[in-house]
Amino acid sequence: MNGQTTSGQSRGRTYGLAAVLVLQALCAVFFIADSIEDLRVDELNLHNAFEAVVGLVLIIGVVFGAREMRRVLDRAGRAETAVTVASGALGSVIEEHFRKWDLTEAERDVALLAIKGFEIGEIAAFRNTAASTVRAQLTRVYAKAGVAGRSHLVSLFIDDLLGGALAGMKGAESETPPAAAS
Amino acid sequence: MSGQLQTEERAWDPLVRITHWTIALAVLLNYAIVDEESVLHVWIGYVALAMLGLRMIWGIVGTERARFTSFPPSPGAALAHLASVFSGSRQAHASHNPLGALMVYGIWAMLFLVGATGMVLDIVGEHGMLGEAAEETHEVAATMLIVMAAIHVSGVLLESRLTRTNLVRQMTWLSGRSSKDV
Repeated sequence: MNGQTTSGQSRGRTYGLAAVLVLQALCAVFFIADSIEDLRVDELNLHNAFEAVVGLVLIIGVVFGAREMRRVLDRAGRAETAVTVASGALGSVIEEHFRKWDLTEAERDVALLAIKGFEIGEIAAFRNTAASTVRAQLTRVYAKAGVAGRSHLVSLFIDDLLGGALAGMKGAESETPPAAAS
Repeated sequence: MSGQLQTEERAWDPLVRITHWTIALAVLLNYAIVDEESVLHVWIGYVALAMLGLRMIWGIVGTERARFTSFPPSPGAALAHLASVFSGSRQAHASHNPLGALMVYGIWAMLFLVGATGMVLDIVGEHGMLGEAAEETHEVAATMLIVMAAIHVSGVLLESRLTRTNLVRQMTWLSGRSSKDV
């Protein structure tokens, strides 16, 4: 969600910068064309010279504005990549845990839906099964993971993201044996 | 998700799109609709020149894909690309394809010629040696510009079909919406 706000902000900033650049480029061309025309008609005087200088300064402004815009676009691109990497990392952390807990295919699906925040009734509807089946599957998942319930399960992954994947994996491992024994 | 990101990545940056469509509109208006003798014709011409100048600056300091170094003009590569199209290659390119790159430089050169001669006509008028030469060049170059634009459009459509990528979407604002909804 945070990523979306950032990308929205940078989008607005990009178009703001683009508008300024377009306006500057237009002004530069008009000033330069005007000063050329004036130079043809009049002698070189302070007024013409000033217009030509304004045109040149505007062009320099466009160059610097364009460089700034490139930085903004690059930063937005990097932020987007970082978000994808992070969500990809969370996915692989979850996958890794599921593998360690030795979940069945059905249990994986149910566990993932539960992590995503769906209620038991909703999960049952998605999977075309009875709510009691889902409840039983979730109970097995919690037992294999060695957690008390859904919030505990979710907090395992949050913990991993905050403290690093490896630290979390070790914590989960130490909790696994008693669960596997039951 | 990765597919969405790819379309986002492959879309041209805002400055490329803004300059592209402003110039396209300016060329269309000045060639087909606006009276050649009118003041409006001159103003539209200056707007197109300003956008061309902005794109040139962007080609030096802009985003990776928009820079001239991403699509150097190379007749040899263009011929090779033409041969590969006939032999049925379906390779998509990060920036312009070599043939498209040549056409882009050709269109820019022609735009500059039309704009520069138009500026001379605006400042000097159509009389005298310079004025007459400018007028002839202006008209011939404008016709060639329209022909090149037509080839450019058909090239885009052909390449889109061959590589199965929607090149038009990359230059418009259609993909920006859908990726924002994700």
